[in-house]
Amino acid sequence: MSGDALNPAAVAQSVEDVHGDDRWMSQHTRFVQECKDAEPDVLFVGDSMIQLMQQYEVWRELFSPLHALNFAIGGDTTCNVLWRLQNGELENIRPKVVVLWVGTNNHQHTAEQVAGGILAIAKLLTSSLPKAKIVVLSLLPRGERPNPLREKNAAVNEFLLSWLPRLGRAQVLDVSGDFVHSDGAISPQDMFDFLHLTQTGYRTIAKPLSDLLLQILDEKPEEQPASLI
Amino acid sequence: MSAEDSNPAATPTPCEDIQGDGRWMSMHNRFVSDSKDKEPDVLFVGDSLIQLMHQFGIWRQLFSPLHALNFGVGGDATQHVLWRLSNGELDNISPKVVVLWVGTNNHGQTAEQICGGIMAIVQVIKNKLPNSRTLVLGVLPRGKSPNPLRERNADVNKLVQEAVSSLPHASFLNVDPGFVHSNGSISHQDMYDYLHLTPQGYQVVCDPLHAHLKSMLDKRAEN
Ligand SMILES: [Ca+2]
Repeated sequence: MSGDALNPAAVAQSVEDVHGDDRWMSQHTRFVQECKDAEPDVLFVGDSMIQLMQQYEVWRELFSPLHALNFAIGGDTTCNVLWRLQNGELENIRPKVVVLWVGTNNHQHTAEQVAGGILAIAKLLTSSLPKAKIVVLSLLPRGERPNPLREKNAAVNEFLLSWLPRLGRAQVLDVSGDFVHSDGAISPQDMFDFLHLTQTGYRTIAKPLSDLLLQILDEKPEEQPASLI
Repeated sequence: MSAEDSNPAATPTPCEDIQGDGRWMSMHNRFVSDSKDKEPDVLFVGDSLIQLMHQFGIWRQLFSPLHALNFGVGGDATQHVLWRLSNGELDNISPKVVVLWVGTNNHGQTAEQICGGIMAIVQVIKNKLPNSRTLVLGVLPRGKSPNPLRERNADVNKLVQEAVSSLPHASFLNVDPGFVHSNGSISHQDMYDYLHLTPQGYQVVCDPLHAHLKSMLDKRAEN
């Protein structure tokens, strides 16, 4: 495992406002503000995969009732999420669970670096929120046909499965298995642009995720040591 | 060299597969293939604002009943839509109306260039589908607070509205219900990332759009 200091995917970095409408910082500022008013039990953090989930009915049905906040920005890499979390998005809140889904946008980084970036975020979460459980969602396959990014995301998932459990309180939920058909194709019924999920695609992952969250939220504090083994 | 030749917004350009998963071309190929089995009365073409409309309940509620197809691709600028429409997406269909919504992703280009790109698309539609009408939707304001892209998009709308006014086969529709509040801000209740619409934002855009399309389709039926 490469040291965080040497891993470019584990370096906190804000997004430069190249287009000139300052949308990224506006969203971050809004999330920091929301921390002051809300008391979430579940915090969702990540890129467009998390962000778009909030726009579908599945969010209101399964996740809003859990008192969930959604701090996701489309296009974010591990570096950008790391920066946001280090700059106010964890202040004043004590969620019991954090759901983290990021990494498919880290185009400049190797699979090992991406996994290291995700691990760095998980470490930050466990140290900033000493009682919270961390659920890391595995990266999904992408592209209509087999391609190098599918292999890369699968490799990221392998690293995560081997590294994350060592952190304690952190686990990987593998949601990547249901999208590639036997002929190797991903269907636009699941991913409308072969990356982002449709309502149907979200339903596939939302059920196992919701079940896991309910299970974690139901755990009594004294049961926690046993569940860590 | 004509003015169009030197305008990157009006030069058909396929999206380069920088990331390496071929998604853009996969979507284009799917649209070409979709167009072979369908007989749409309305075709929606554009960028993510068109594409995401397809994902929410509003599409099934308002536009599926009009026999609509959706050829929206996230991130597309005018030159990309121009390439797609020039390379098969219009070859097997004859919709009565084409709804065109693109331009907000043309970064680094002037309002004049973007208008030139939109008008080049209108011309390709005219050439490929001589019996169709094109409805160009105004690009929306963006960003939480006032910023140069809002001004650019407003300039694009002025230029396009003027350019289509003399064309019998094209018209312009401003679909901004007033997303900018009196204090200058746009709400994330309407645009969740200050660019893309929430289901609530789509509702206020699509109700008048639907009424407008119905009246265009009814008028055609009378003629
Ligand atoms: Ca006209």
